[in-house]
Amino acid sequence: MREIAPYPVHSTGGTDHALLVARQVRKVYRTGSIEVAALRDLDLTVHAGELVGVMGPSGSGKTTLLNCLSGLDDIEGGSVEVGGRDLFAMSDAERTAHRARSMGFVFQAFNLIPVFTAAENVELPLLLVGTPAAKARARAMEMLSRVGLEHRVAHRPAQLSGGEQQRVTIARALVARPAIVWADEPTGNLDSAMATAVMDLLCQLNREEGQTIVLVTHDTAIGSRVPRLVRMRDGVLAEDIRQETALAVS
Amino acid sequence: MYPNLLAPLLLTLAVLAGGLGYAALRHPVSRRLAARQLARHRGEALLAITGATLGTAIIVGALVVGDTLNFSVRQAAYRTLGPIDERVVSTSASAGDEVSAKLSGLRSDARVDGVLDAHVDQAAALDRSGRYAEPRVLAWDVDFARAATFGRAGGPSGLSGAGPSAGQVVINQPLARSLNAHAGQAIALYLYGRTYQFRVARVVAERGLAGAGLGATINRNAFLPAGVLDSAAAAAGTQPRAVTFVSNRGGVERGAALTSPVAATIRHDLLGLTAQVDSPKQDVLTSARKTGDALGALFLMIGSFSVIAGALLLVNIFVMLAEERKSQLGMLRAIGMKRSRLVESFSLEGSAYALAATVPGVLLGLGVGWAVAILSAQIFRGWSADGSGLAITFAVTPTSVVNAVALGLVISFATVVATSVRISRFNIIAAIRDLPRSATARTRRLTLVTSTALALVATAAAVPAIAASQAESTLLLPALAAVLAVPALRRVAPARSVLSAVAVAVLVWTMTASVVRPHMFDNPSMAVYVIQGTLVAFSGVILVSQNQHAVLRPVRRLIQRPTETGLATRLAVAYPLTKRFRTGATLIMYTLISLVLVLLVQITGVINNSVNANVADATAGYSLRVDVNPLGATRTLTDVTRTPGVAGITSLVSAPAFATDPGRRTTAPLPAVAVGVPATGLTSMRFSSRLHGLNTDRAVWALVAADTSYVVVDQFFGATGGPNGRYYRPGDTFTVTNPRTGATRQKIIAGILANATVFYPASSSSGAVYPLVANVQAVRQLFGPAAQVSAALVRTRHGVDPQRLAPTLQARYLSASLVATPIAVNVRRSFGSSTAFFRLMQGFLALGLLVGITGLGVVMVRAVRERRRTIGVLRALGFQSRSIERSFLIESAFIAAEGVLLGSLLGVLTTWLMYQKSAAFDGVRNGYPIQWPTIAMLAAATLAASVLATTAPAKRAAKVTPALAVRVAD
Repeated sequence: MREIAPYPVHSTGGTDHALLVARQVRKVYRTGSIEVAALRDLDLTVHAGELVGVMGPSGSGKTTLLNCLSGLDDIEGGSVEVGGRDLFAMSDAERTAHRARSMGFVFQAFNLIPVFTAAENVELPLLLVGTPAAKARARAMEMLSRVGLEHRVAHRPAQLSGGEQQRVTIARALVARPAIVWADEPTGNLDSAMATAVMDLLCQLNREEGQTIVLVTHDTAIGSRVPRLVRMRDGVLAEDIRQETALAVS
Repeated sequence: MYPNLLAPLLLTLAVLAGGLGYAALRHPVSRRLAARQLARHRGEALLAITGATLGTAIIVGALVVGDTLNFSVRQAAYRTLGPIDERVVSTSASAGDEVSAKLSGLRSDARVDGVLDAHVDQAAALDRSGRYAEPRVLAWDVDFARAATFGRAGGPSGLSGAGPSAGQVVINQPLARSLNAHAGQAIALYLYGRTYQFRVARVVAERGLAGAGLGATINRNAFLPAGVLDSAAAAAGTQPRAVTFVSNRGGVERGAALTSPVAATIRHDLLGLTAQVDSPKQDVLTSARKTGDALGALFLMIGSFSVIAGALLLVNIFVMLAEERKSQLGMLRAIGMKRSRLVESFSLEGSAYALAATVPGVLLGLGVGWAVAILSAQIFRGWSADGSGLAITFAVTPTSVVNAVALGLVISFATVVATSVRISRFNIIAAIRDLPRSATARTRRLTLVTSTALALVATAAAVPAIAASQAESTLLLPALAAVLAVPALRRVAPARSVLSAVAVAVLVWTMTASVVRPHMFDNPSMAVYVIQGTLVAFSGVILVSQNQHAVLRPVRRLIQRPTETGLATRLAVAYPLTKRFRTGATLIMYTLISLVLVLLVQITGVINNSVNANVADATAGYSLRVDVNPLGATRTLTDVTRTPGVAGITSLVSAPAFATDPGRRTTAPLPAVAVGVPATGLTSMRFSSRLHGLNTDRAVWALVAADTSYVVVDQFFGATGGPNGRYYRPGDTFTVTNPRTGATRQKIIAGILANATVFYPASSSSGAVYPLVANVQAVRQLFGPAAQVSAALVRTRHGVDPQRLAPTLQARYLSASLVATPIAVNVRRSFGSSTAFFRLMQGFLALGLLVGITGLGVVMVRAVRERRRTIGVLRALGFQSRSIERSFLIESAFIAAEGVLLGSLLGVLTTWLMYQKSAAFDGVRNGYPIQWPTIAMLAAATLAASVLATTAPAKRAAKVTPALAVRVAD
């Protein structure tokens, strides 16, 4: 059995430890003879414990950035190191295993496994890293309780509301205590009250547990709540802003 | 083939096609939607067309088998009859002269275009070298000039040219083959105990008069110079038999239509004479129709399981398409598309699949029919002792092809339209937002009232049906009542409990109905077997689908293991557990086909297991049956007794007869042979049932010996093919008629013989001839001089091999036309052929497995498309691509294994219950061995094929790029 938290986590606001280092990352999409450069020699460093927001207009490359830095998508050039290991120097299998150990994901469309219950969805990342079934289930229940869903553990996604599904997604993303959580428009499919609640939860996790989170959003209200905001335009980082008052819980 | 189906089928097809054509022409939006879906899902369209192609091919194949059998039997009419429609056989030439004189009026009868007199008798032949001999020869004296003009209006008679001159003989092809003889070669004929030398003038084709005989399917004919046969008979102090052939106007087949009135005229003209009047052409053509229909129906019954699987495949494809397009459909409805247009669009798309499958389906079906015909030919050869059997010739009638295509299209169209109506009934918002379907209170109330009322009607109808042992209704109506009661029961219990309880009730009733109503299978209809198999498979699958968690309990530990395999397995079983409808539909395909395959495997096993017991029953201590020329038979058989190795013989007196059906299935007279046995000859032969009060087999034989009213028969008296039923029992009566005199006697069945193989005539008849066994005196009383000793059962000494003794006897008594048949070999050959026939049916049914495997392939291809987002998420979370692939393979193996195991289990159980009670197993009950190796092989092959069919979609799933999948989804 492997340990489920291989990376040190630190207090709110980040540490000196560079968890993610992206250098000269280039990504090009090709459709027939047409080429579109989605990321142009992009550099980004994220320290452990940081909550980084990525904003930008539609088509600026936010989601591509998240996909490439998390190793979900291939890159054309450059390198991405997570926890000191170059993602794109690894084989697909190694990269997948690395993702299982060190990353969590929250998607806009929730993307829960429709045939699994909430508990089964949440325990999945733990089972993937070899946690015994009983321990995985106990930890999943704990996480679900943490996100306020202890009464919905045996429900399938179709039986949950949008907000509940997103909370299950967050629980799934955090249950294995990953080094970094990638959140792509986590509030995009939610009403404002639910969006605020979900953001509160993410901020709380970052503040209290030092969870590193990279969050893509187009919502300026959410962007104003993160300590570090990266603005993208045409595949490059246009701005990298440190904000002082971001972590207050609404 | 099945012309009576044509009109209703074409009418139904016209209505369905008319509706679809109207929709295509009048509603361009529906048409365009259907066309776009077809063009954009080519892979799935191809799989759907493949499934429909297999369905059409199975129906075409089944009907073509019927055509081939029908045509092959009809060929006997061309080979052995040609223009001959009626035949009058007299026991002597002088009696024949009287017959000829009485029938002189026929020559000017407008309905008749030929009357031909001939003399004939049994002979044996030997080639010049002495290497080739033939004991079964008919020696003829016929006027070739008259023969050439006999029935000429309808085509060639089969005999023409100059007749043989002195010292010459004209022989037909079967005799030439037996003797390896050709024109110019010398041969010897044994006539009336003396040898006559001839030179073959020419060999004539086995056609019409040249192939004619006295009822056998193959006649080895020698046409002698005029007067030679009469002289040879006179030298032996006897006369040859006389035959008068009559040809009706209208050629080989159309002439048979006049048979009834012409035969009535002949019988009227011959009143007072003892001549046998036959209508061989009509008999052959009727037999052809019956054989073709029976075999066609049998294959159609077997094929219908595959057709049901094909229909389920279409249903599954459409349900999955609808699920995948749910939000699209919701949007279309939201922007104003009527529900009827959606139904039309789906129906047009599905109909396009069905139409595209027609031509390949017909071509494949013809191939299947041809392959079955080739294999059947080999099997039928094994069914006759002399290998003459039935020459199978591949044939197809346009009626069958049109029938098959129409039936295939009607099934497809109806399935598609019904499924389209079902899937178009959704709530618009629920569809757009991908929410679970829920019926409105009004719909629920309406469903409850309607289904409960129908359940009561079905229950009321079931009571008299069960009381009367009406097979189809006994099975169907209670099952229908139980299913219709589901909405009412759901008001008092949870859905899973209700569905499980109903499934158990239907399953138990379907499997045990024959125990409660043992006579329900006394029914020649094949539909009952289709209903039984389908109900068992459906109820079994519903029971399992509702209780998958319990089924999976033994593998729960594996599923919970925190390993890649454990997770892949968990994922693999999660989908079938959740997607119950589509999994159930696929499971039913596997279960249904496996059930019937295992049923056939088990029946084959039961038959094989009973061979030795049947050999013992058939032989009853005897080793050989010998058939001899009735002329001098007593002396010949006395000589046979003295042959080294022979311990004793029992002579059989036999006479051709007609009998009514003791089972009252038909009012037509059945061709029979009355066999007289001596009082003490056969007391060791066993009965499967005896007259009440007769406690031993010997008591039955004693009654038959003492009382001429009693006879014994076997269970196949009057059988026309298909599974046997208990249509008559000891104590039942029937009438036996002497065909020469018209004299009749009422006979009582004293016992049903366990095996009557030794009493069946040795020469293959053009149709079935059923033996009835009585005492010698009874046969002689009714049949007079027609009752002759012409066969005997031979008991050999210990250590003598009957197979070696048979050729010795044939060679020694060639002049007496002795044919010796080892009984055990004959029985084993017959059982071997039955086994081969069941294997042939298994092969035919295996096409259904292809439908099931295709269905699973379709489900998996669509599953990959449907689960792209989930696959992307799993990959993002750290699921290796190989685990994704493994998960799909495990899922497919799980469904296939579950279906095959369930089908096999139900197949073994169903067959066992039938084995216990059904009359179809009478005569083969000698234990119920479960054919584990064959079943295991079947399961392994199915599993391997299913996994293979999933390999491509599984690999495609493994290649899904996580970022792309997630982005597409978002």
